[in-house]
Amino acid sequence: MALLEVKNLTVEFGSEDKPFRAVDSVSYSVDRGEVLGIVGESGSGKSVSSLAVMGLIDFPGRVTADALTFDGQDLLGMPAKRRREITGKDIAMIFQDPMSALNPCFTVEAQIMEALKVHEGGTKKQRRERTLELLNQVGIPDPKSRMTAYPHQLSGGMSQRIVIAMAIACKPRLLIADEPTTALDVTIQAQIIDLLLKLQEDSDMGLLLITHDLALVSEAANRIQVMYAGQLFESGPADSIFAAPRHPYTQALLEALPERSEGHDRLRTIPGVVPGQYDRPTGCLLAPRCRYANESCISARPEVTDFNGRDVRCFYPLNDQGQPTGLTADLATGETV
Amino acid sequence: MLGFLFRRLGDIIPTFFGVTLLVFFLIRLIPGDPILMLAGERGVDAARYAELQAQYGFDQPIIVQYFDYLMGVFQGDLGKSFVTKKPVLDEFLVLFPATVELGLTGILFAVCLGVPFGVLAAINRGKWIDHLTMSISLTGYSMPIFWWALLLIMFFSTTLGWTPVSGRLSVMYYIEPTTGFMLIDTLLSDEKGAFISALRHMILPTIALGTIPMAVIARMTRSSMLEVLGEEYIRVARAKGLAPIRVIMVHALRNALIPVITVIGLQVGVLLAGAILTETIFSWPGIGKWIIEAMNRRDYPTIQGGILMIAFLVMAVNLIVDLLYGVVNPRIRHKR
Repeated sequence: MALLEVKNLTVEFGSEDKPFRAVDSVSYSVDRGEVLGIVGESGSGKSVSSLAVMGLIDFPGRVTADALTFDGQDLLGMPAKRRREITGKDIAMIFQDPMSALNPCFTVEAQIMEALKVHEGGTKKQRRERTLELLNQVGIPDPKSRMTAYPHQLSGGMSQRIVIAMAIACKPRLLIADEPTTALDVTIQAQIIDLLLKLQEDSDMGLLLITHDLALVSEAANRIQVMYAGQLFESGPADSIFAAPRHPYTQALLEALPERSEGHDRLRTIPGVVPGQYDRPTGCLLAPRCRYANESCISARPEVTDFNGRDVRCFYPLNDQGQPTGLTADLATGETV
Repeated sequence: MLGFLFRRLGDIIPTFFGVTLLVFFLIRLIPGDPILMLAGERGVDAARYAELQAQYGFDQPIIVQYFDYLMGVFQGDLGKSFVTKKPVLDEFLVLFPATVELGLTGILFAVCLGVPFGVLAAINRGKWIDHLTMSISLTGYSMPIFWWALLLIMFFSTTLGWTPVSGRLSVMYYIEPTTGFMLIDTLLSDEKGAFISALRHMILPTIALGTIPMAVIARMTRSSMLEVLGEEYIRVARAKGLAPIRVIMVHALRNALIPVITVIGLQVGVLLAGAILTETIFSWPGIGKWIIEAMNRRDYPTIQGGILMIAFLVMAVNLIVDLLYGVVNPRIRHKR
């Protein structure tokens, strides 16, 4: 049994009769010791789905799922108090911007010890020792003097290490990292990712790595889940997705990587933006931006199907040559409709 | 820290000149002659009038009078009341505790109701409880103090008979002032029931005085709280699995209170202004009532002295508030 099992998770905002689906029937699972990468552009529902797992979606947001279980326990059905016992202890989360993730009014020590107090109890002395140990573990230089520092005295990279220390304080079995490096300098990014992966390996945690950095997931993740406008577009083992994308969106994302644009004057882009609440296409959500889209893509919405052992939401999944299958010959040349 | 303190103390000097200038000349612009006021209906003859003018220094040019007054103030002499012939400072010090007592209970009332109201409204944003508390607060803010005080007296004192109409203590008791604070003095005394009597006398003036600051604090707390609740660190606190009450009362409120404390400091000025009306209506023997009576009699030294002391008080409170910032906001503490 997987550590985290998510089946048809849907998160809706807005009125009951005309809801906006920020996350639309997304399913995935994370195992012990596994790194699952979730990639997608801004607005594709990556963060919202992870917040739903953490139980942090507030009214008026509505979370529904056929299954949302952690270690076999139904997260949606359990009382709020029981769920809080799991949140922050067994499932922890790291957020995007470390500079705003720490409460400016409290010391580093107080913020880390708080999580320990709630979930593990113990004496103040024990908690303080554990905090020192954590700061060492996340590579804070001179941790003793940092214990009493306030967030505004720390750099971004340092803050993110503190946030990580806070998240792993209670030895979680699943760690959700929501774009943990986006707000950091490039040089610091690699350090933070290395740290996360090391912690994950050492303690055999499940790691849910949310990012829009494909290069990052390619190195870090065992499996990848590509999301777009709240829907799952493609999922499968990391290396095979990189070798042969089955969804036109994944293909376009990979082509947009700078290292794959060699020989071109400009970097490749995907024209347009992710549809929001008011401009959702009736057919496939990618249709307005897809180079292979045809009439049927515009009028009907594809379901997730199994294609060569990979989950793909497309009428015309790509073959190993990167060409759509099941299309008539003239459309398969890559012309935009 | 020390440099900051000195800078702030330096600000007092221009304020001092501003206040003395304004008060000195403005009260002399009000029609009415203090000597004629003192003389009453019978009036005085021209010779006696000139004699009195010379006695009070009114025959001097007004600039000279002003500098005479300033010289006195520099030496700690606020002048003598025309009416009672007692030094203004002595009178002030006798009445001052009554005003401070009322001011403290007023601000206590305002904070103890305003902050919870604001927090409740913020965490129930858009729901009935938000609308209710904000309507109460808007009503409180829009209510003229004298009218609100009269309504309170009519309802609670006259109709229901729950509280006394005016004064600080029932005439049945006599308390020798030791601290000047009636609640403390009655507690110290042996008179049974005096403390309860003092407490009952405080209720209505406190409500009348505290209502406007309460409304302002409630609205400020609400908006500040709403802003803080949208911060990322609140989400992080919740992700730690903390109970909602702890997230709100510890993580959010601590941050939300920073701007609220400024407002509380500013409200002290409003409170002292309000004390003038409240004390008059409730016959509260404090600074406010004293100044009003002095104005009616054109008792220049008393008005000047009283207002100057109030101005100093407001400045002192705001200085304390600024120093308090550092306690709640570590970002300021380290910059200084």
